[in-house]
Amino acid sequence: MDSEGHIADLLVQSKATISFESAGTPQAKPIAVVEPSPCTRACPAGVNVKAYVSLIAAGRFQEALEVVRQRNPLPGICGRVCTHPCEVACNLGDIDSPVAICWLKRFVADYELTHPQAKPEPISQTRKEKVAVIGSGPAGLTAANDLVRLGFGVTVFEALSTPGGMLVAGIPAYRLPRNIVAAEIDAIRHLGVEIQTDSPISGDKAIDRLFEEGYRAVFLAIGAHKGRKLGVPGEEDYRGIIDCITFLNEANLGKAKKPGNKVIVIGGGSSAVDSARTALRLGSEAVHIVYRRSRKEMPAHEAEIVEAEREGVQLHYLAAPVRVLGKADRVTAMECQKMKLGKPDESGRRRPVPIEGSEFEVEADTIITAISQGPDLSFLTDDQGVELTRWQTFAADEGTMATSRPGVFAGGDAVTGPSTVIDAIAAGHVAARSIVRFLDGEALVQAEVSGGLVESEIEVDRKERKPAPRATMPMLEVADRISTFEEVDLGFEAAQAVAEAQRCQRCGPCSECYVCVPECDKITTILSTPQGDGEAILRLPGNFELPDQAGASVVVKSGRRKGVNLAVFPVIPQVKEELCRSCGDCVAACEYEAVSLIPKNGDVSVARVDPDICRGCGTCVAVCSTGAMLPGYYTGDWLTQRLASLDLEKRNIVVFACHWNGSHLDDKTLQDMHGKDIHLEIIHTMCSGRINPGFVFEALESGAEGVLITGCSSHDCHYDFGAKRAQQMFQNLERLVHMVGFKPGCVCYKQIPAADSARFMAAVDSFVEGLGKTKPNQRAAELEAVS
Amino acid sequence: MIDTIELNDQIKRTNAYACLECGKCTSVCPVSRYGRDYSPRMLLNRTIRKDFDAIFQDYDLWSCLTCKKCDDVCLAGIQYIELTQLLRSKALEEGFKGKCSHAGALQSLSRIMTSEYLHQNRLDWVTDDLGIATEGEILYFVGCAPYFDVFFSDLEVTTLEAAQSSIRILNRLGIEPVLLADERCCGHDLLWNGDAENFTRLGKHNLEEISKTGAKTILFSCAECLSTFKSLYPQWGLTVKPELKHMSQFLAEKVATGELELQSSDTSITYQDPCRLGRHLGIYDEPRQVLATGSPRDNGAPLREMQQAGKRSLCCGVSAWMNCDRTSKAIQTERLRQAKSTGADVLAVACPKCQIHLTCTMKDQLLKDKYGLTIRDISALTLERMQ
Repeated sequence: MDSEGHIADLLVQSKATISFESAGTPQAKPIAVVEPSPCTRACPAGVNVKAYVSLIAAGRFQEALEVVRQRNPLPGICGRVCTHPCEVACNLGDIDSPVAICWLKRFVADYELTHPQAKPEPISQTRKEKVAVIGSGPAGLTAANDLVRLGFGVTVFEALSTPGGMLVAGIPAYRLPRNIVAAEIDAIRHLGVEIQTDSPISGDKAIDRLFEEGYRAVFLAIGAHKGRKLGVPGEEDYRGIIDCITFLNEANLGKAKKPGNKVIVIGGGSSAVDSARTALRLGSEAVHIVYRRSRKEMPAHEAEIVEAEREGVQLHYLAAPVRVLGKADRVTAMECQKMKLGKPDESGRRRPVPIEGSEFEVEADTIITAISQGPDLSFLTDDQGVELTRWQTFAADEGTMATSRPGVFAGGDAVTGPSTVIDAIAAGHVAARSIVRFLDGEALVQAEVSGGLVESEIEVDRKERKPAPRATMPMLEVADRISTFEEVDLGFEAAQAVAEAQRCQRCGPCSECYVCVPECDKITTILSTPQGDGEAILRLPGNFELPDQAGASVVVKSGRRKGVNLAVFPVIPQVKEELCRSCGDCVAACEYEAVSLIPKNGDVSVARVDPDICRGCGTCVAVCSTGAMLPGYYTGDWLTQRLASLDLEKRNIVVFACHWNGSHLDDKTLQDMHGKDIHLEIIHTMCSGRINPGFVFEALESGAEGVLITGCSSHDCHYDFGAKRAQQMFQNLERLVHMVGFKPGCVCYKQIPAADSARFMAAVDSFVEGLGKTKPNQRAAELEAVS
Repeated sequence: MIDTIELNDQIKRTNAYACLECGKCTSVCPVSRYGRDYSPRMLLNRTIRKDFDAIFQDYDLWSCLTCKKCDDVCLAGIQYIELTQLLRSKALEEGFKGKCSHAGALQSLSRIMTSEYLHQNRLDWVTDDLGIATEGEILYFVGCAPYFDVFFSDLEVTTLEAAQSSIRILNRLGIEPVLLADERCCGHDLLWNGDAENFTRLGKHNLEEISKTGAKTILFSCAECLSTFKSLYPQWGLTVKPELKHMSQFLAEKVATGELELQSSDTSITYQDPCRLGRHLGIYDEPRQVLATGSPRDNGAPLREMQQAGKRSLCCGVSAWMNCDRTSKAIQTERLRQAKSTGADVLAVACPKCQIHLTCTMKDQLLKDKYGLTIRDISALTLERMQ
């Protein structure tokens, strides 16, 4: 049967749902998405959070990174500095603590640095239009990246000598190492984006000139680099007052010296905290942050504030600068006034109100102002036709990023004032989309508001939830970090990342990562089908006409991705009638009552599997003594093939793992965990109920030193009774293994809670460790004798 | 590539080229009769035509039950089952194999037992009240019963009862038989799966172990083990020195000499001749003599013989754990029908395989109410009748 079309077309043809029946990452129906999981919905940039977390949970790090990159070209950067609204939305936050999504993203980005991949081919320009992007911060880079991928020519103009905008000018290296920024920008450049540094747009008619040079659209993403003044007496009178961006930029470029011994930072945002911690690292003895509201209102992230305190920064809340005091031309102190919190203002935060007569002085030789920034608009002359807001930012439609001048778009901090990297990335996407529509001569459309905290209807069953603490980020000791700009957060190890990702409850339906679809060869792993190209297990509906033969070809296209040839292996077993003894073992095994004996002619009956009821666990296949019950996958031949790959030079461990077990780590990951002298062969079955002694003996015979069977426990067996069957089977198996003289413990059956790969790994670990006591030569001799 | 010259020589020795194409073999073949379109005659025909590819690819190469009915009726003296064994070995070499039942677990177990470094715990079932020895003149070869009873625990089959009863009988006769702690599968099934190499290894191991015990007589409850020792080992160059006896032969002797006195019983018995004991080794009378002792008379006959008995006996339907299928069941159903229609209470067996295969069909969902019979080994029945 060859049919071509979108999965959805197949769906229509069969008038039923085709779902990828697998505990692999796409867990459920890939088509009928009800509601995305809360994390995914919370991401302003629209990153498919659930998908990449799930992929990490499966040890599929590179694919996870690719999923991130679909919507975020700066994964390593965001993995460090994102304010991660996804974690705020995470359902687990209500129970223990959210999944450390941000750090997981960082992990996969870092993983690529240590496991380099072939670079993607540069994208050739297929559109004649060129777009000018002003500013190489996250907004500009995202828009440029999107546009170049669509075939447009893109030039990014950067005023500073290093691209990255606020990423390099504002964020210190101890939070965001420069090699990370450079690598991600290089990747964007490599795709075909031209970035011109030291190229400020300035002078008369700067925007007009861009159009004259042939650019058909302009994206103003200049950020907000211009510090606002305190507006207090004495501010202009003394040396020793510096605005935080200037300070941070110099420090980041390595130009800054110790600003002074006694430093006051005014403000409560990230830049304030960054400035304070940077001053400490440059050698300042006492660093104070003065903030006019209470700690709760501080815009800086709590973790950053905590680290600043640990490093010795002193915080003063509810205090506002009143006057700068000085001697000769140098600052000596700042006079402050105590504040109390009044009614909430338009930002929703309580407005600070001065307390009369509460003035006090803080001694200082340096004052760093970090009270807010705006875009540096010095390049813009009035006749450029781009309107500004009263806060001196670009007036842009937030749903299209269009400014008052056709063809000119603006986004990021230059529109919103200082905000987050992820918001800037989101703005970059919106702008790119609008620019494409503009160049296509189409009307602009409002982007759907993505992100934000919408109450999710998807809930986690608290009772089912096993407590698992959130992974902590390994950090440099305070003493080791305080005098350097070394990165403070050290990042996760692979095992830590997998375990953390496994905490994810995978709220909602299939994440639609679609990594299964375009990459045939990978489908085998993600859906855990038998090895070989282009095989996938599709749970086909009962009235879907099955190909005569397992492995028949169906072309499936997904969206704009290329069509792929999938070999269809029906989940539902087929009965080879001449082999059927009609003994009824299968009927007894299937508690769904999907199998029945149908009279054939005379006394003869044959087993029949009702495809509408059958869920494909394979338990009936396991109990069939003659082999009449044919699975569409995991056939005996396939098992033999897998076992043929055992390496008799090594210690071979065979794991028969239930699909639903959280066992979908790639072999490489597991292999890495167990060292070179061990060959680990993980053989998946739909359910542990599919295992019969024949499987295990064949593995032992093929040279396995140990065979571990893993399945879910009875109460969370996906097939309700598979675990029970496995348990019964194992009781006999264990006696046989003992009788024939294999050493105790070499065949083991472990029940692991479904989808818990940390426990899966632990089970494999302890199994391998338990086997570790064999003397190597004894084992070699055994192998030789058996093989 | 198949060495056809060598193969040809081997085939010649089976007399296959003398085939008259009379078709008697097919007419007596239970596989042909009760199920498939299988024909020994056609296989001979293909052999003569040297159409080996077709033979090897045919499921039916592995269907022969090696029950030897065909050999017994062949006018040309063709050794058809030996030809089968030969062709299976060649087929295996060429990468073909039979359809193993139970996902090949039992074949695997046998192959695992070829390991020199195995330390089995196969005598856990020997309770303190059973007197056994490690050295002595009489050795009891247990066979794979300990494994079968665990493997087929779902069938609640108790093939070990034969061993337990045999030892008890021997004990009562003042004999503590030698049991091998490291007895291995005799290799019968592997050989019939075409695997002569592992068969030979198992044979060598068993004979070595036996030689250490000083055994002069080996007793068997398993007809397959006995035929392996008696025919197959020598055929494959392994010399077996001790005298070999099936338990039924041993019991018959003891009954004849009066050493064994059996009580009369109300239980009426019918008897399943194992192919190995009957047509392979020609042992028909001794089991009957033992079973008849003390049995109630039925029209003068102590045993209630089935429609097909003795030389004409019907196989239990599966051989060497291969190709068990609808036909097997049809044969077994027919055999149970025959047994049931004798009106006997008990179906006596002299081979654990008969016991397992017939029990399997008897416990079948669809048949269990139809053919309910007690199936028991000769030794177990004999022990019950002892004074």
